[in-house]
Amino acid sequence: MKRTPRLVFVSIGLTLFIGFPVTAHHNGGTYFDMGVDIEHKVATVVGYDLVNPHGRLVYVFADGNGNEVEWIGELPSANNARRRGLNADLFKPGDQLSSVTGNPSRSGANFMRLSRVVFANGDIAQISGRNAGVHRAESQ
Amino acid sequence: MKLIKKIAVLSITSALTWLMPVSSYAQADFEGIWNPSHPPRMGQPVPSDVRLTVEGQAEFDAFSPDKDPTLRCVMPGIPLGLVDPYPIEIVQQDHQVLFLYEHFHMVRRIFTDGREVPDHWLPSFMGYSTGQWDGDTLVIRTTHMSPDNYTWTAGFPFSGDPEAYVIERYRRDGEELSFRGEVHDPRYYEEPYVVNGHWDFAPEGEIWEYECIPEFGGIQ
Repeated sequence: MKRTPRLVFVSIGLTLFIGFPVTAHHNGGTYFDMGVDIEHKVATVVGYDLVNPHGRLVYVFADGNGNEVEWIGELPSANNARRRGLNADLFKPGDQLSSVTGNPSRSGANFMRLSRVVFANGDIAQISGRNAGVHRAESQ
Repeated sequence: MKLIKKIAVLSITSALTWLMPVSSYAQADFEGIWNPSHPPRMGQPVPSDVRLTVEGQAEFDAFSPDKDPTLRCVMPGIPLGLVDPYPIEIVQQDHQVLFLYEHFHMVRRIFTDGREVPDHWLPSFMGYSTGQWDGDTLVIRTTHMSPDNYTWTAGFPFSGDPEAYVIERYRRDGEELSFRGEVHDPRYYEEPYVVNGHWDFAPEGEIWEYECIPEFGGIQ
């Protein structure tokens, strides 16, 4: 299974800024490369668990060579996600996703800290940031 | 005549005590549920500003995610839980202030009746907290904290040495509760490690259950 993200772009300089005023006692920068955003396009949901201490979205997509690869996206804790309007029924297996964006694990595993998921219908699940929540396509 | 006067004074004192809405020890009303301020204003120091001792630096360099207690579903306690982005409920009683955290269902007793730490008290994740009022500011001193804990999971360690202690100062300003915390750990830090945070009064707020599943705590 290849681990090459389909599209990688680097946001140099954000790491230090983001790391300090934290919303949790976890410093995301310790575990994830906050200066790098990766985006996977055209993915399919395999599993979703909204639990503590962190939720998980499991999805597959085809890499540049046409190989299907599986990734895990980490969400906030169930309690914090629910308070942002990200509920346990947000994803279900088989859901088609237009894109999945986040910060990759420093370990190099197929694991990222999710920041944004766009559904095939245009709905957006903003996982982190001030506008976190579900934004429906018709209201955008 | 003296006896009647004494009885009258005692009666008035009792009546006043009964009518007081909060503990007679309290100088401010912190009672209720408090939500982390939004946008969040909970802050850790800039890592480059933290001055570690040689031993502290070695611990920092040896940190790995599997040492983060919360990722194993172990409560953050004190000092790691000082900056905690979850609601808390505060209950004020005559002899103590209770901090009821949503995060990991932590219950923290801050004794305000002047008692001292019992000799038999063992180090723990919550430690032992005593408090006193400095005007309208609640000042908490915590000792007996676990050496298995951390100051912040950016890798900042905590020694749990007997001389280590934490001072927190909480003050209410209208609908906002703010705090400043100082971690005094001379074995690992050249100077106190300082954090701060703010909560908003949430009369309609809720404290939710926080079930934690260790299998979902791992960082890959």
